[in-house]
Amino acid sequence: MNDFINSVENPVERFLRTDRMPHIWCPGCGIGTTVNCFARALIESKIDLQSLALVSGIGCTGRVAGYVKLDSFHTTHGRAIPFATGLKLANPKLNVVVYSGDGDLSAIGGNHLIHAARRNIDLKVICVNNLIYAMTGGQTAPTTPGHAITSTAPYGSYEPAFNLPHLVEAAGAVYVARWTTFHVRQLARSIAEVFQKKGFGFIEVISPCPTLYQRRNRLGDGLDTMKYYKEKSKVRHGAPTNEVGLTMTGEIIVGKFVDRDRPDYQTLMRTQLSESLGERFVESAEMVCS
Amino acid sequence: MATIALPVEEKKKYEQEALITGAEAIAVACKLANVDVVTAYPIRPYDTVMQYISQLKADGEMDCEYIVAEGEHSQFEIVKHASVCGARVFCGSSGVGWMYAMEALTVTPALRVPMVAMVGNRALDDPGAFGVEHNDALAVRDLGWLLNWVDSAQEALDTALIAYRVAEDPRMFVPCAISCDGAFLTHSQALVNIPTQEQVKQFLPPYKRGDLLLHPDNVISVAPQVNEDWVMEVRRQNYEVTERACGVIREVYADFERIFGRKYGNPFFEEYMTEDAEVVLLGMGTLSTPTRVAIRKMREQGKKVGFVRLRWFRPFAGVELAKCLERFKAIGVIDRDFSFGSPNLSGVVATEVRSAMYTGAATRPPVLGFICGLGGREVLVQDVEHMTDITFQAAKGKAQPLTQWIGLRG
Repeated sequence: MNDFINSVENPVERFLRTDRMPHIWCPGCGIGTTVNCFARALIESKIDLQSLALVSGIGCTGRVAGYVKLDSFHTTHGRAIPFATGLKLANPKLNVVVYSGDGDLSAIGGNHLIHAARRNIDLKVICVNNLIYAMTGGQTAPTTPGHAITSTAPYGSYEPAFNLPHLVEAAGAVYVARWTTFHVRQLARSIAEVFQKKGFGFIEVISPCPTLYQRRNRLGDGLDTMKYYKEKSKVRHGAPTNEVGLTMTGEIIVGKFVDRDRPDYQTLMRTQLSESLGERFVESAEMVCS
Repeated sequence: MATIALPVEEKKKYEQEALITGAEAIAVACKLANVDVVTAYPIRPYDTVMQYISQLKADGEMDCEYIVAEGEHSQFEIVKHASVCGARVFCGSSGVGWMYAMEALTVTPALRVPMVAMVGNRALDDPGAFGVEHNDALAVRDLGWLLNWVDSAQEALDTALIAYRVAEDPRMFVPCAISCDGAFLTHSQALVNIPTQEQVKQFLPPYKRGDLLLHPDNVISVAPQVNEDWVMEVRRQNYEVTERACGVIREVYADFERIFGRKYGNPFFEEYMTEDAEVVLLGMGTLSTPTRVAIRKMREQGKKVGFVRLRWFRPFAGVELAKCLERFKAIGVIDRDFSFGSPNLSGVVATEVRSAMYTGAATRPPVLGFICGLGGREVLVQDVEHMTDITFQAAKGKAQPLTQWIGLRG
């Protein structure tokens, strides 16, 4: 770490494609903050960048894949998890991160999210949740809290929202945490920690969209949202996930909710095939081009 | 161009003028058509329509069920089934969103569902782009969908009303997609005459599904598995719809003109400065604007060039179009789409025009294909002049490549 602190360059700069800057994110948006935390987590966890692949879907957060100087893929809408699953199956040695938004992961890609958690595929999902579809103009998403005004709900949203930590825990994730973009240190630590877990890890990051969500709901700008996150967030590690649902202006329960162990998909596959086939089961460890 | 039949004073009694975008015009048409169920999923540029509709509903101007689905596939499935239950429905998408709904889009004409959809034309991925390309809507061209391309907000509004009337005609019962070029039409404002509710009521009767209605009092099974016993006969029914389609569309346009006073002339294609033209360009959508400007400019220089804008792509009025085009010395078709590996490697429209000319025209003028304006790149006046020059060369008997890419960076 000291080398980085003493260096003249911003320590996270080497993880970024600076030639792609300026980025598309609005002033006050939290996605850039999460990328910063992600880069710091990479430094802290000393992860081998050659074995790291980042996959994102479509949307504001989906653009992360284009800004990081890593092997990355900007997939079709909702399909970041199937793509990442393919990567992991073809090359189990890879550390595969899915970095996408709430709309991409839980709406159009919702089915993949629950099935990846059920299989316990060894993927690390970072879900930036800004509570709406931001890139397309702020429409109601499955994560939009009740009463919130969106471009498709001018008098308030009335659909019940997903509680994402509860959803992925129920589906089988082994690591579930939530932070806001105010909690930069905790978030970076959490990302570093999830790399140590084998199986499906899910980190939700509550993030402002001052342009479309906060503005329409008269919740102020990016700074006001940071103050809200600071005042209303409660750290409750191990909180039962059915109690961590979000409301528009209420408490935000943050922390590490789930940290458990169960065999991941590839371990289960090996066990089952070894049992059924006995000596005939030969693992093709080098099936992938390295 | 559409011309106004009624005197201005007279017209004002009936219609109101508003400055709205192409997307807004479609939303207003949905309101006037008293659509019952609307589903949506955000994707640019189509998403502007869903916002306008939700605003109309929230303001109490429009009474409909409205749901933001979890993806385009479910979005189209929801309205498809609502339509089977007798609801008038609206839906739409753009680019890859439209493609994601493809399974639902495939079954919709086969189930004889008169859904009206708006396609805000957008380039398919990869590589990502928000701009216009026509391959999204064209992907359903063989499946029984009616497809048309409009080039102004007024035409978008009028065509949406026409689309409901055509699609819901018991002789048809097939879906209709209205294509609006992304950004150039969906997001550009223009003055639009908005008809009164009374006029629309007169023009568009309530949707009646008759024996095909799914209702407890009318016990039917929708979409049973029939295998090889009946699939061919079901396909034949869709084929027969396309045989009737041109006639129904002609009737509906005549009625539209009678009730609203706006004349569209030939429903299937519009001719611009073709009377004495030696060569013509042909294309769909908003490329008509730079093309018309270029043609006026070239006319001043004495070049006898005209333009044919195709409105309806399905049904394709092949015989009529061939009869129109046979009088010119050369035809340049501008495709805002691609069809890799097609005959002569041309775009979709050029290939269709050549096919229509082969069987329907008395002469055999050269039909050149130009691929232009992909991914939202502008079709410039100078591009049109360039394409016209090439077409004139062909008219003089100097052989030209059958497919050329125009406006390509070096």
